[in-house]
Amino acid sequence: MFTIAQPERQSRVEWLQLLGLLGLMGFGVAFIYSATLAHAVNTIPWYREAFVRQSLWYVIGLCAGAAVCVIDYRSICRWALVAYWLTIVALVLVLIPSIGTTHGWGARRWIDLGPFQFQPSEFAKIGFILAFANFLSRPLEELRNGANFLKALGMVALPFLLIMAEPDLGSAIIFLPVSLVMMYVGGVPMAFLRRLLLGVGLLIVLFLVDVLYAPPQWQIKLHDYQKRRLLVYFGRDYANEKMTPAQRQAAQHQQRNDSYNVEQALISVGSGGMLGKGWKRGTQNALGFLPRAVAHNDFIFSVIAEEKGFAGSVIVIALYSVVLFTGIRIAGQARDRLGKLLAVGVVTMLASHVFINIGMNIRLMPVTGVPLPLLSYGGSSVLCSLIAIGILQNVNLYRRSY
Amino acid sequence: MLIFDQLNKADRHLRVLSWVIAAGLLVLLIGLWWVQVVRSRSYVEDQRNQSYRTLRVPAPRGKILDRNGVALAENRPSYSIGLYLEDRSWRDAVQKEYKRAEAAARKSTSTERQPKLMEKFLSWFGYEPALTQPRKLTANEKAALGREVRYSVTSNIVWQLGVALRQPLVLTNEAKFRQHYDRRRALPYTILANLNSYQIARFQEQSMRLPGVDMEMQPTRIYPRGTLAAHVVGCLTHFDDSSAEGEIASFDYHLPDYRGYDGIEASLDAELRGRAGAKAVLVNNLGYRQSETILSPIEAGKNVTLTIDAEIQRVAERELRAADAHKPNRGAAVVLDVRTGEIIAMASSPTFDPRDWVPRLSSEVWNTYTNDDVAPMRNRSVYGYYFPGSTFKTVVALAALEAGVIDPEKIYPSKGYYQLGNRAPIGDTAGPGEFNFKRAFKRSSNPYFIEYGLQVGKDAIVAMGERLHFGERTGIPLSQDSRGILPTQDWIRKNLGGWHDGDTINLAIGQGFLAVTPLQMAVATAAVANGGKVLWPQLTISTQAQDALIDPATQRGVRPRIRDQLPVSSQTLKLIQAAMLADTEDSDGTGIRARVADYRVCGKTGTAQVQKKGKLDHYTVWFASYAPYEDPRYAVVVMMDYGLSGGDSCAPAAGNIYRALKYRDEHAPSATKNSVVSR
Repeated sequence: MFTIAQPERQSRVEWLQLLGLLGLMGFGVAFIYSATLAHAVNTIPWYREAFVRQSLWYVIGLCAGAAVCVIDYRSICRWALVAYWLTIVALVLVLIPSIGTTHGWGARRWIDLGPFQFQPSEFAKIGFILAFANFLSRPLEELRNGANFLKALGMVALPFLLIMAEPDLGSAIIFLPVSLVMMYVGGVPMAFLRRLLLGVGLLIVLFLVDVLYAPPQWQIKLHDYQKRRLLVYFGRDYANEKMTPAQRQAAQHQQRNDSYNVEQALISVGSGGMLGKGWKRGTQNALGFLPRAVAHNDFIFSVIAEEKGFAGSVIVIALYSVVLFTGIRIAGQARDRLGKLLAVGVVTMLASHVFINIGMNIRLMPVTGVPLPLLSYGGSSVLCSLIAIGILQNVNLYRRSY
Repeated sequence: MLIFDQLNKADRHLRVLSWVIAAGLLVLLIGLWWVQVVRSRSYVEDQRNQSYRTLRVPAPRGKILDRNGVALAENRPSYSIGLYLEDRSWRDAVQKEYKRAEAAARKSTSTERQPKLMEKFLSWFGYEPALTQPRKLTANEKAALGREVRYSVTSNIVWQLGVALRQPLVLTNEAKFRQHYDRRRALPYTILANLNSYQIARFQEQSMRLPGVDMEMQPTRIYPRGTLAAHVVGCLTHFDDSSAEGEIASFDYHLPDYRGYDGIEASLDAELRGRAGAKAVLVNNLGYRQSETILSPIEAGKNVTLTIDAEIQRVAERELRAADAHKPNRGAAVVLDVRTGEIIAMASSPTFDPRDWVPRLSSEVWNTYTNDDVAPMRNRSVYGYYFPGSTFKTVVALAALEAGVIDPEKIYPSKGYYQLGNRAPIGDTAGPGEFNFKRAFKRSSNPYFIEYGLQVGKDAIVAMGERLHFGERTGIPLSQDSRGILPTQDWIRKNLGGWHDGDTINLAIGQGFLAVTPLQMAVATAAVANGGKVLWPQLTISTQAQDALIDPATQRGVRPRIRDQLPVSSQTLKLIQAAMLADTEDSDGTGIRARVADYRVCGKTGTAQVQKKGKLDHYTVWFASYAPYEDPRYAVVVMMDYGLSGGDSCAPAAGNIYRALKYRDEHAPSATKNSVVSR
């Protein structure tokens, strides 16, 4: 199974991947600077500028990633369940109104820790990957046991449902591909997976049909804004025949507002053209058409795409593919199933983020608050991404040569 | 290569994963290619559309000057106080008030809620959940609150402004304000327009720091001489349409602009108006201005210099108003330079005030202006149908003398009336007696001219009328330029069944199927005076750029444009000239009241009956004249509807106009040389 095609390398640090990371961080700082340029200048001290804070988080994240590499991943994974349950507790705490804050967004996602807030759902992903890899690394025979499969499902369902309750649909959705890929690579029988896939697919279809087409009394209670996002994505009208003209007008107005972000993101990306308008020259952001609250985090990609054009987009995607495919190489070179599963979990998580976030900028995906790893402004996201990379490097560093 | 190595991995699971990720990234790349390369142009357009507004900036309108450079229409800065909705201080004031109002609104609507299960659980451990919470406002409520706050902040500012200016000021039209805020945010909202000097001084000296309030200046059309020459100068009407040629088709914003509605303002509108410029204003998502670029520059309108002399015009208008006739006077006076065809004055009464049209004509004033009985907008010197009455005898005389029908010295015994067959006899103010040509002309004997009119025949009279270009437009640059009626064969065929001798009798005394305008009559009189040259009347001397130096061509004056040459001998003209002189100089002449000391006026009176429903309604009275006799310079035609008689109503007015002309020629020698003093 393991063909030793490549000679063992001297250094086991995956330098190519780190190079890719460095490139992404460069982009991140440069374009967060550009995206926040139009914000009230001179009103905040330099050390509170978003790009400075982001750089700081990069440093902290790199340190955390390096710290992760100090101990062998096998030793770390003995504590995986502890990490898992800690994140679960955090996810419970964030739901408590006096602990979790909403930032005025209607969803309780942040825990306020004085100078900064942290987003438990980000850390839950790491905790989950560690614990799930640990769980799946048991002997293959045990995975064929239905009870264990159900346990695995339970492990996914717990954080998934807690995050859904915040609600944070985007972060929750990430758990699906991650757990699915990990189970697939981990060797869970295909029969189970097929059934699972079928079940989940059916649920999603039922859910969408229910939300989009069912009469109101039959619909699942969703937050209004979540439902509207789905309606926007599927191009459905808010207004229906039963509405009074006034209601209809209000609904149409609402629809324009809701599709505004996506439309402006599309205009940003599209108007960038082949080579873009140049760094700091993007008008969509500077003139405030691309809402300033999201330009430097969820929609940072549209700023890059507007200012650097298709060429910039290709470079960003190339950098991500370097990180992702070196990750897969690490998975392939891992000498045990734990390492392989960890690597696969991290790669899938990052890939899902990239796909969902960039897809949302070009209307391929519905708008969900999924950050673009390393590029989006935000401490929790940066920290988690770099810890995840640290895990990858750890797997590479401590692989045993047989 | 890194990626292909992974795609060809021996490990099936990782190979599948690699393929899935590669496919995902490829989908993103294709999507980005589609958006950023294939469809890029439409997004660039969208981006441009939402971030640029085009603004139409009208060009400064050219002046209308009289022949001496006196401004009849020009632009003055008009000051108004406007509220700049883009101004940071205003926005800050609104923002501050909004925060306060929002907090108040939230507090007043705060709701109590039941503790959640988790909170009940935690409260056992001493946790105290906050059970009242300020309600979050919905987007609609926020928008409504924003509108309310903007309006209240603004009306407060307006009130403070009123205190400072010491006059009550209230912001009243909320809908208008809201509309302005929604649609025209890049433009200031006008609080007080057309400030007087007192208000300007107050505003300046208070040096007020009211948020967003500033004074702005806009050129407005003014008519320094008021109603003077209103029918020639014309008036303006609001016009924001940009469909004028050579302009960018559609604009998001317009600044107020006007176009000519009547008079020279209308007929030379294109020259006067120039070409509006266009600006592109880069706006942000809130519609506030970021920067401007000029798309097309303004081309200033040109100045138009008229042949009108403001002083003579003033006298002519005064005479019309003062004339002894039915009030309000409906009449016209035309002063023509018989050598060049320049219109020195063109007055029409009653008149209108072009100042009423700027900035906007009120409907009450409009109603009085469109009153059909008084019709102040009508330029009676060129527009309307008037029987020339006895003034037409000049034309009959031209035809009959030239045809040799009249022997000037032959005596015609008049019975004091003329009767053809069984028709009602036609009366005569000249009375019975013996008339030679001169006496018949100066006494305006109807039987004499009917007799010879019949002898020479309608065709000869009409032919002479045609050479004088009655029944045709005079070609002046005014839209009110009516043809009048001359019964040519064509006209008869179109409008009448046939022609009878009775019609010729009417024609011979300037009644019946005949109508002329005072300007046509002035051109005809000038032709008699200047030796038979029928001129095109001229109203403008030049149109030139506002900043142009004096054009030497205009210094040389206006060249006559000859339309026709009368086929009459100088003998004939001399006879008529002498008869016209006798009309004012002989004690029994009808135009004796036009006499001017040391200025020999030649004239012909006319009094035409206007019938309505077969009954005499009123008289249209005339005095067609020129002077001086020895070296004719001016033709003056005065016409009054509802006058007493040509000699009583019109001749004195003409006399006063000649006095003014004489005075002008004696006291302003430079002006007599037709020079134009350009300002």
